[in-house]
Amino acid sequence: MVERDIRLFFQYKFLIIIRAIWFISQIVLFGLIASRMISTDAVQDYFRYYVAGLSVMTLYSAAIFIGFDIYEEAEHGVFEYLLSLPVSRRQLVLGRSIGGGLRAFIYVGPLIGISLYVLGSVNPLSFLVSLFALFLFSFGVSGMSITIAVIIKSSDRFDILMGVLDALIVRLSTVMYPLAVVQTANPLYGGVASFNPITYAADLFRWGTGIEAIITLDNPLMPLLGIIAFFAFFTFVGVTIYDRRIEGGGWQ
Amino acid sequence: MKAVLHILEHDFRNFFRYKWWLVGLISMNLADLFIMAIVYNRMISDEVAQQITSYFNFFAPGLAVTGLFASAFMIGREINMERRREVHHYMLSLPMTRLELAIGRVLSGGLRGMLYMLPLLLTCFLFLDFPTIWQLLLILAVLFLLAIGISGLSIAIAVSTSSLEKFITARGLVYYTLFFCSSVFYPLSLIQQLGRDGKFPMILVTMAEVNPLSSASDMIRYFLLGYPPFYFVSIINVLVFAAIFTFGATFAYMKIIERK
Repeated sequence: MVERDIRLFFQYKFLIIIRAIWFISQIVLFGLIASRMISTDAVQDYFRYYVAGLSVMTLYSAAIFIGFDIYEEAEHGVFEYLLSLPVSRRQLVLGRSIGGGLRAFIYVGPLIGISLYVLGSVNPLSFLVSLFALFLFSFGVSGMSITIAVIIKSSDRFDILMGVLDALIVRLSTVMYPLAVVQTANPLYGGVASFNPITYAADLFRWGTGIEAIITLDNPLMPLLGIIAFFAFFTFVGVTIYDRRIEGGGWQ
Repeated sequence: MKAVLHILEHDFRNFFRYKWWLVGLISMNLADLFIMAIVYNRMISDEVAQQITSYFNFFAPGLAVTGLFASAFMIGREINMERRREVHHYMLSLPMTRLELAIGRVLSGGLRGMLYMLPLLLTCFLFLDFPTIWQLLLILAVLFLLAIGISGLSIAIAVSTSSLEKFITARGLVYYTLFFCSSVFYPLSLIQQLGRDGKFPMILVTMAEVNPLSSASDMIRYFLLGYPPFYFVSIINVLVFAAIFTFGATFAYMKIIERK
């Protein structure tokens, strides 16, 4: 299953190139211009701060796309073929979850390379820890995407729900702004941002790339545990839900 | 004309069938205003604060344009779905000319965008200020032209892409290019300054200046906030954009939709 999902992903060369252009255009356009707008008192170097956050945002978006693949398969009748394969339902969903996460990670790898070039020096040990956390985060997001896709079974609703989730959980995280500023702006937003897996991933990545000076991360263990919990929940609960919902049709 | 009205009715009925879509779009737009803009308000530099006073106020007109873009773009998604599910054969079998069908689709996309955008524009008026009646009419006319152009753009993409994933990816690319290279999220003066400093390609500066999204956002800002300066040439930008994509989409819809 993992091999199939990765092979499928690399068939979409056009999409991969376009998404790489998204990433670079966000750095060049939004990152560069917004950094001119932000006070250095709030964030010392907003450009670097944003580039690190953008890598996590891109990883999140790439991992979410496995859900759209599931709808394409349901629409074209490939789902029935997958169900007829000599693998258990659990193996099927676990394979898809790992495949979705892994391909997102492979896709984001070169983009993380670009980020590292922009961000500069790296502490190797911290970077490996943060990379491991991003791996788990990617599997967790892809598990979440699969879980939601099989619960909703409607591509329209899935697309819009992913849009809403993206709007809320990305904006209520530290991807675009530091936690201290979010807390000052609104304590409720700050509370949500403190328990957001994207916050954990973004902060750990900044910590791993050595730009923790512009974030407030006292203990990297806490976000790491948060990401492990997120991964475990959506991988293992996702397997159970997938197992129950996968059959019976009803795809729209 | 009657045929076009039938298409409008069909598309408006479809629009209201997608209640989830509308709820989702509104949530996304409001999240931008009430989360992102409020937090950015705390981060803007003194220099920018002198120009725009508050990021929340600055962004509110941009939000109306963002909402207009998202909802006018929805027609493309429906047409892409019709094409994938081969519903377009039914549409082509209707007793009307291809031209009427194509014009009806472009027009309904734009009108649906306007309908969706109105509450966002009203929110903007409530938080900032109310324009005079002539200013309001001009705002609505320019936004209508913009909506038609966006609807045309989305239809052109929809008929040229064969899968939902490709359509969504192309939508993202168009969104990032048009929005980030405009004055929706930040003042145009910042982009121009970066261009003068040699840190931003002049071609992108020019693109931001002639971008119809910049023209529409800045026109509303001028009427409600008194800045940035408003030039009538910006209305020409929107008019040209609307003309290109209305005719382009009509042509593309008529030609590509018939292909196997």
